[in-house]
Amino acid sequence: MTGVPRPRVGTGAGEPVVAVDGPVVAAAGGPLLAVRDLSVRFATEEGAVLAVDRVSFDVAERDLVALVGESGCGKSVTAMALTGLLPGNATVTGEIRFAGKDLRRLSEGGLREIRGREIAYVFQEPMTSLNPVLTVGRQIGEVLRRHRDMHGAAVRRRCVELLDLVGIPLAARRLREYPHQLSGGMRQRVMIAMALACEPKLLVADEPTTALDVTVQAGILDVLRTLRAETGTAVLLITHDLGVVADVAERVVVMYAGRVIESADVDELFAKPAHPYTRGLLDAVPNPARHAEGGLREIPGRVPVLSHSPEACTFADRCPRADDTCRTRRPELAPGPTGHPVRCWHPLPDPAATPPRPRGGAR
Amino acid sequence: MTVPAQTLPPPEAPPPAAPPAAAPAQRRRALRRILRNPLSAGGLVVVAVMLLAAALADVVAPFPYELTNFDTTLQPPSPEHLFGTDELGRDQFSRVLHGLRVSVAVGVLSVVLSLLVGVPLGLLAGFYRVLDPVISRLTDTMLAFPFLVLAVGLAAILGPSQTTATIALGVGGVPLIIRVARSETLRLRELDFVAAAVADGASDVAVLGRHILPNAVNALIVQATVSVPAAVIGESVLSFLGLGVRPPTPSLGVMISSAQPLFRDGPWLAVFPGVAIVLFTLALNLFGDGLRDALDPREVRR
Amino acid sequence: MTEQALEVSGLVKHFGPVRAVDGVDLSVAAGEVVGLVGESGSGKSTLGRCVTRLLPVTAGSVVIGGRDIAGMSRRQIRPLRRQFNIVFQDPSSSLNPRLTVGDIVAEPLRHHRLGTRSHRRARVVEMLELVGLGGEVTHRYPHELSGGQRQRVSLARALAAGPSLLVADEPTSALDVSVQASVLNLIARLQREMGFACLFITHDLASVEYLAQRVAVMYLGVLVEVADRAELFGSPRHPYTQALLSAAPIPDPPLQRRRQRILLSGEMPSPVAPPPGCRFHTRCPVAVDRCRVEVPVLRPVGPSGALVACHLVGDDGTAPALVGTADQTAAGGTGDSPGRAGGLHR
Repeated sequence: MTGVPRPRVGTGAGEPVVAVDGPVVAAAGGPLLAVRDLSVRFATEEGAVLAVDRVSFDVAERDLVALVGESGCGKSVTAMALTGLLPGNATVTGEIRFAGKDLRRLSEGGLREIRGREIAYVFQEPMTSLNPVLTVGRQIGEVLRRHRDMHGAAVRRRCVELLDLVGIPLAARRLREYPHQLSGGMRQRVMIAMALACEPKLLVADEPTTALDVTVQAGILDVLRTLRAETGTAVLLITHDLGVVADVAERVVVMYAGRVIESADVDELFAKPAHPYTRGLLDAVPNPARHAEGGLREIPGRVPVLSHSPEACTFADRCPRADDTCRTRRPELAPGPTGHPVRCWHPLPDPAATPPRPRGGAR
Repeated sequence: MTVPAQTLPPPEAPPPAAPPAAAPAQRRRALRRILRNPLSAGGLVVVAVMLLAAALADVVAPFPYELTNFDTTLQPPSPEHLFGTDELGRDQFSRVLHGLRVSVAVGVLSVVLSLLVGVPLGLLAGFYRVLDPVISRLTDTMLAFPFLVLAVGLAAILGPSQTTATIALGVGGVPLIIRVARSETLRLRELDFVAAAVADGASDVAVLGRHILPNAVNALIVQATVSVPAAVIGESVLSFLGLGVRPPTPSLGVMISSAQPLFRDGPWLAVFPGVAIVLFTLALNLFGDGLRDALDPREVRR
Repeated sequence: MTEQALEVSGLVKHFGPVRAVDGVDLSVAAGEVVGLVGESGSGKSTLGRCVTRLLPVTAGSVVIGGRDIAGMSRRQIRPLRRQFNIVFQDPSSSLNPRLTVGDIVAEPLRHHRLGTRSHRRARVVEMLELVGLGGEVTHRYPHELSGGQRQRVSLARALAAGPSLLVADEPTSALDVSVQASVLNLIARLQREMGFACLFITHDLASVEYLAQRVAVMYLGVLVEVADRAELFGSPRHPYTQALLSAAPIPDPPLQRRRQRILLSGEMPSPVAPPPGCRFHTRCPVAVDRCRVEVPVLRPVGPSGALVACHLVGDDGTAPALVGTADQTAAGGTGDSPGRAGGLHR
């Protein structure tokens, strides 16, 4: 990725955009997307559910940010909240600044302009996102005609271009096919092509490869990687798969029980996780280099379902390092021992301060 | 990485606030939903009241239903005779109550009969591929007959009576029950827990009885709640045609039919039984709709 | 010759034109964990269900405890089911919502008429404790439990009657990462303590590497490679195995970036009309003419007797290397091993 400035996180060189919950991941040159204090509350039959609890993060232009967490952490809700895609029983508060505009102040009409045109989505299940009775060419073409005001041969040319961009061979022929004639991976590529049709500034991909086989996933991740180089689109990737994160992400934001608990450049997050939950996640993935330590690390307990934001660390009752402070005071997102922001009263120390562990040890 | 070594994980944390529902908890939640919806709650109340009145007809009715009194014929509704009297001086209120009881009895019993016959057939059709074509063709054949033709035929053979009406309506209701039971069986047998039961060594009977049937109950309850009003109307029609209950036992349908020639002189004779039928079936339908919506599982939220 | 808990020969399962399993030979020794890896459409789940006779078998034999159950009637098999059982992937549909946990775990005991009522109750509690849930969940219903807890209940149920073979069909795929870890640990521990053989079916290579002693790779209804864990992950021979290992991302960004990816063209063809010759040839980067015509046989190669079905793999075990360096997987260490100039590796 030559020539693209990689935003440095937590170095203090970037200015915090708004005085919130600790220093925010500030990106050089002003972020494309700045989410500040975003909260989402659902009114359900069983009472109120706080799905997103004052979340703040940035996505810079051409950035690829992974929003990581397990189910129930609020990452998908956050993604949907950006352009007002939540159901009626959701209450959203906070600020969502995109390319200078506050999306929360836009009317439904204004949001519709943004959706698809400037912020595009790709979801997990391509079969249900594509219209089964229209050909691929028709569907992509429709996006171009509606949002880009293109007609005739120009539409067809651009469709072929887009399919090429996402690595679909024999693009011209594919345009005439129906979704059911395509395999899962192909459909997902078509979804990405449709999302890119309007040359959006931001592509939000919500678990785009979870339903796909691993060999197909590799191809899709490749597409995500190359499209940033070729089109300059920023990507916000929602996932629970740390392997996927390691493969494509540049920066990572980790969420737990509705809060951002850690955010860092990808290399630093994996090598020097500061939050015990992040550490737990990394240890839970089978990795033969660590087999010598015996057993996969488990995180006991379950992700809580919260009805309000507790005055405590939400991970406390599952954390081996928790103490009374953790249970009675809400930690803020602040630079940790390694420099990147973490929300923890007792973050893990920088391993550089301890003798390095031999990697790829005895097998 | 100097993280303290993990000790034995403590026992699992207690379940979260909002678990996905099934079985008993689902029914409690269903009840809450029903009560919240005014239409279905209203339906439930009306049905309950009418059922109670019908069941206690002997006690509640001010007069014996067959008591004639030629001094008070064709009286319009009054404090003494709430629904008026007919051409024989019989108290209509009492007759409507007893008629309602007949309707409810036939309605409910016929549906019970439909279930007793239809559920096993439906389960078998859904479970054994071999039997499916046979049973399905049988069902289709039955559905091809207008049910009245069936009822008329049965009545001709058995002679008109409350029992005939019950059997005729019961038989007529079988195809629908078979359909529901069959489709539920087809759906459920694909689920992993049924395969697990087979893997555990369950016999076919055990699989059907312990795993499939209990989970098909919801759909069957809903279907039954919808079938009963149909049966009630069916009974009225049969009796109207003279194929059901015989006089002097009141039947709402008979009361309506015999009120026809007297409509000018005593409209109340037709109105009250008619309203009773409409009210009961409407209330049952509304409650049934509400029940169906309420039992519809809001599928698993991950 | 160690006793085989499971011996599958020539197993074929066709659903009409769909050739889901098209001739598989596989054995699992007593107390061994064999991983069966494949992507969707490979037929691995179908194989699992055939082996446990939840599906009738089109052809071939399945020998468990010395008896071939492939051709038996359902009635004949029922008493034999005490010796083998299966756990499934989806925690939300693998437990009967109408039964309590206690009832569910007791099912195999009831059906096989093992013990008295009180014996069974005790065994249920014993099993629940063995899987890390307390006896107090006995009266709970499945919907009151989390996904991970439900999978534990499934394991307790499947193992209650003490089978010698457990088929685990993607038991962790529907769970969160942290929960997957606890279930994998649990399976490992149960297997060590109870000594059952396990056929572990999954698409997740990492969990196979963690649990299994031997690994079989399946593609479009047939096995393409069977080898000991270290050998399969350290020096995969079949091009598909190599691609599979290359495609699975490793949660280690610098390492992941350094790896060379093998990108396969197209996707797995439909099992209705598998390609002639080697089924993988349509996507294989090193396919030659022979591959398009002649079906490769799964045969032992190399000193260890690992099985590979590929024309390009020599009898001595040499195989085409689809990537230049050997660090395709974390098992290869942190890379920086001297790059070999393509060609063959042992």
